[in-house]
Order: sequence, then C-alpha cells, then structure tokens
Amino acid sequence: MAPPKLGDRALLPDRAPAPQSLPDFVGRPAQGRYRGLNPTTKLVIAFSTALIAFGVRGWTGALVALAVVVASATYGRIGRAMLPYALATIPLVISILLVNTFLYPGASDPIAHVGPLSPSWSGLTAAVQGTLRVVAFAMSVALFALTTTTNDLVSDLERRGLGRRPSFVLSAAIGTVPRMIDRAKEITEAQRARGLDTEGRVWRRIRGLVPLAGPLVIGALTEVEEKTMALEARGFTAPGRRTVLRAMPDSPTQRALRWLLTVGTLLVLAASISGALGWLP
Amino acid sequence: MGWVSRQFTTRVIVLIPVAIAINIVIGYLTQTVLKLPIYLDSIGTILVGVLAGPLAGAFTGAASNLIWQYAPVIGGGTIGPFAITAAVIGFLAGIWGYLGIYRPRPASGTQLLLAAIIAGAVIVLVVIPIFNNPAYTDPNIGGYPSWVYTAAAVIAVIVAVIVAAFIYIRRDLAGLFVALAGIATGVVAAIVSAPIAAIAFNGVTGSGTDLIVAALRQGGSDVLNASLGQGLFSDPIDKTITSFVVYIVLLGLSRRFLARFPLGNRLFGDHDGAAEAWGSSTPA
Repeated sequence: MAPPKLGDRALLPDRAPAPQSLPDFVGRPAQGRYRGLNPTTKLVIAFSTALIAFGVRGWTGALVALAVVVASATYGRIGRAMLPYALATIPLVISILLVNTFLYPGASDPIAHVGPLSPSWSGLTAAVQGTLRVVAFAMSVALFALTTTTNDLVSDLERRGLGRRPSFVLSAAIGTVPRMIDRAKEITEAQRARGLDTEGRVWRRIRGLVPLAGPLVIGALTEVEEKTMALEARGFTAPGRRTVLRAMPDSPTQRALRWLLTVGTLLVLAASISGALGWLP
Repeated sequence: MGWVSRQFTTRVIVLIPVAIAINIVIGYLTQTVLKLPIYLDSIGTILVGVLAGPLAGAFTGAASNLIWQYAPVIGGGTIGPFAITAAVIGFLAGIWGYLGIYRPRPASGTQLLLAAIIAGAVIVLVVIPIFNNPAYTDPNIGGYPSWVYTAAAVIAVIVAVIVAAFIYIRRDLAGLFVALAGIATGVVAAIVSAPIAAIAFNGVTGSGTDLIVAALRQGGSDVLNASLGQGLFSDPIDKTITSFVVYIVLLGLSRRFLARFPLGNRLFGDHDGAAEAWGSSTPA
C-alpha cells in the first residue's frame, strides 16, 4: 500500500486532523490512483457494479462485477484494506452455501446421501453463484467506502445540483452516527454506575436495552429544536444556490465513463429482466 | 407541490439525520451486539413518517439503508438492497400519521378490556399459521434445533402480553391501533422483502432468522416462499415492537415539541383526557 500522502485522508477517517492544520473543508481533495477520481464517478461505479451483480443472473453478472471491482482495487492499491470487508461476508456466505447446497427443493441430482440430507449439484451451483454475487457486492461497497470521504461526495453532489436539504441530511446523518455511538457508551456507563447489568444473560441484556435506548432517543430528539433554530438563523431556507468551496477533480473521460456506465447498466438490466440475456452462462 | 414541501420543513430536515442515526445505532445494537432475532432498525423511519408524512418517511427509510450500507467505517452487511422495504415502511408510517393512529385514546371499563384482549389475540393469530406449516409440525421433516421455534413462540407471547398489559394499565386504546398498524406494516414489509432477499442473497441474510428459512426450505418451499415465510414471521412482530417503541417515545416528548412538526396536531385529540396524557410528560 502506498504511504499516505498529503490530503490522502480517506486512509485516516476523521481521526487525524488535516496535515496543514487548516480547517477540514479547505483540505485538498483526495489524490492517488482511483482515490483521486471524482467522487460521483466512484459512486456510479459502485452502483452499477452492485446492480450488475444482482441484476444479471447466473455466473456472468457476479463475475463481471467482481472482475471490475478487483481490477479497480488493484489499480488503486487498496487490495489489502478490502480484506476485512471480504472476511465480513463469511457468515452470510456460510449460510448461503449450507442452505442452498443441502436444501434445494426440486433438485434431482444428489451428490451423496448423508443421513436425512442429500446435497445436490443444482443446489451447489446456486450456492456458489449466490456467494459470488454477495462477495462482488461487498467488494464494490468496500471499494467505494475506502476511497471516498463523505465531505468530498456531498460537496461534489451539491455542485452538480443536489439541493441543500438532501446534502445536509446526507452529511449530518453520517456525522451523527459516531456521536450517537459515543453517547450510547456514556449512557451505558452512567446506567452501570447506577447498578444496571449490561453483560451476562440474554434476558438481562434485553432489559438493559430499555434504559439505554430511551435516554439515547429522547436526548437526540431534544437537540432537534436547537439545531433547527441554528439553521434557520444561518439562512438555511434562503433562496438561491450555495457556493461550493471545494472543487473536486473531474475530466471529460470521467464524464463519458459515468454516462456510459449509467446507460449501459440500465440497458443490461432491462435486457436481463426481459429475458434477452438468457444465452449467458 | 405544497403537499410535498410541507413534509420537508427545516425542522423535519433536522429530524431526518437524527432518525437515520437512531435507525442505524439501535439496529446495530439489536442485530449485531445483542444478536436478537428481530431487526429494530426502523424506529427513526416510523417516527419521521408519523411526525412528517409519507414522503418524508419513505425518504428516511431509503436513506437509512443506503447510508448504513455505503458509509465509510459503519458500512457493510446486507442492508442496502432492503432500502426499498424501508421506504415502504416509512410511507405506511406517514399514512398512519395522517390517520391519527398514534393519538392517545383514553378509555375505561369493558371497552378497554375488549381492546386489550383483541390486541393480544390478533398478535397470537398472526403467529399461529406459521406453526401450522409442515416444516414445524411434521417430525419427519424436522431435525433442526427446536429451541428456535420455542424462542420465536415465546417472543410472540411476550409481545402479546405486553401489548395487552400496556393497553389495560395505561387505560389507552391507542395501544390496539398501534399494534394493528405495526402488524399491517410488518406484513407489507415481509411481502416487499421476500423477492429482494431471494434475488440478492438466495433468501438468507447471515443472521439468526436464517434458521427459519432453512426449516421452510426443508419443508419444500422454494427460495421465494421460504423468504416470505420467514418474513411473515419476523416482520409483524418486529414492526409491532417498533411501533410501540415509537409510541412510547412520542409519549415522552413534550406536546410543544411535537406540535411543531407537520403532522404534530394529529397526535392530539380534542378531548381533555388526551391533553392530560400528553401533559404528564416532562416540559421541554
């Protein structure tokens, strides 16, 4: 993996301050291979690979999506960082393999008879195809998440005409999650200090959820009023467009690629749904 | 346009990210940390739907799942494709909001007792058809851990008892309405989810509910029907619990706070009893 460069903050999510001790929003856009692409290009690549993986049945869709994602990851030299995402699919993959191989109603080509179970070849085929699909999807998500920061994406989408309301929702939601997790930890510790049992058996843990979730939800909601006032006071509802400070790199090639991918994916999906792709393996 | 923009006031725009975070954090706690066989990932969605309207609810649901899937660090899992389900849940919640389902309805005497019994009975009724499935009753097909169904049945009975007790002790008919809305939402969510699970993940999602899918497959159901069978079991219970959580959260918020949301007024009745119910909460 390449050493982190200046402005290469996707490697250090939110933890490290911008190297030049400037405010975050003045920081340079991400650089490097693949990472330096326009955020919208990366989003289009993520969505189209996911749609191809799920939308084209059989072997082709999943393999094509997986090939594109792996090639991009290799090009961007983030193969190793993607490993945890691949490992995270293991429980799902095990479930898919077991359920489909052993329990495939209507299968008439058993591999063997093991007691009451008879794994079938057609079940195994479906299982491996399902596994490829899930892995391709997880890798396409990882490729996007590892190379794109929320700030970059939101400012680029806003420059392209996304309204300030959706932009606010997108960035505020992503920012609120870690803060709420911190808050949940504080509440847990506070309740524990009062004698709440947060470990141990399931039933106790379920009972522990109520004094945790209650203050968490109510506390978060009471902040809504103050935030509303703050936004209204700063011209959130003012007419006109905001000027976006951060310009993301873009190129005619990327623009062409985005259009090509969007139109191509929609055409392929339409063909797949109408059954015109039945000849593919 | 008025109908749309009225659902997205600044206050709602501020509420939506909070609701999305609530969905993600509570859902993550329930599914991943506590590993319970329910989802609890639509509390925020239903809250926004009830307070702001169908479109705001649908937007919150879809955005929650997409952000959960694609956001750096918190991302992952199989939640993304179910954005469609989440949008439908939020849309339905908006309709319940318009209909005033979540308005406290004080009652007493026979009416109250009847409502408590109906609510408990409906929940049990929803569960019974699942247990008549040969996958559960035929010992020749069985052979999976029987505790799964016992656990599921126990959850259903506990929910039924809690709902009935809630209605009776709080002297509030709204419990019945909230339970019915939750069950209806759950059935619709299951019907919408099944094809998504079948197409995207061969019917399984890598969680505790996969055992139910496996049992139904063993009983002879195909991928779609097994997913639907699992969903029809998990979703109504999950959405009933979620609806009650939302109702309790609403009771915990001040009337002044709620009234400023687009559908806030539909949370209050005109009679004095309702005012008393809401007035008992802490002032903002």
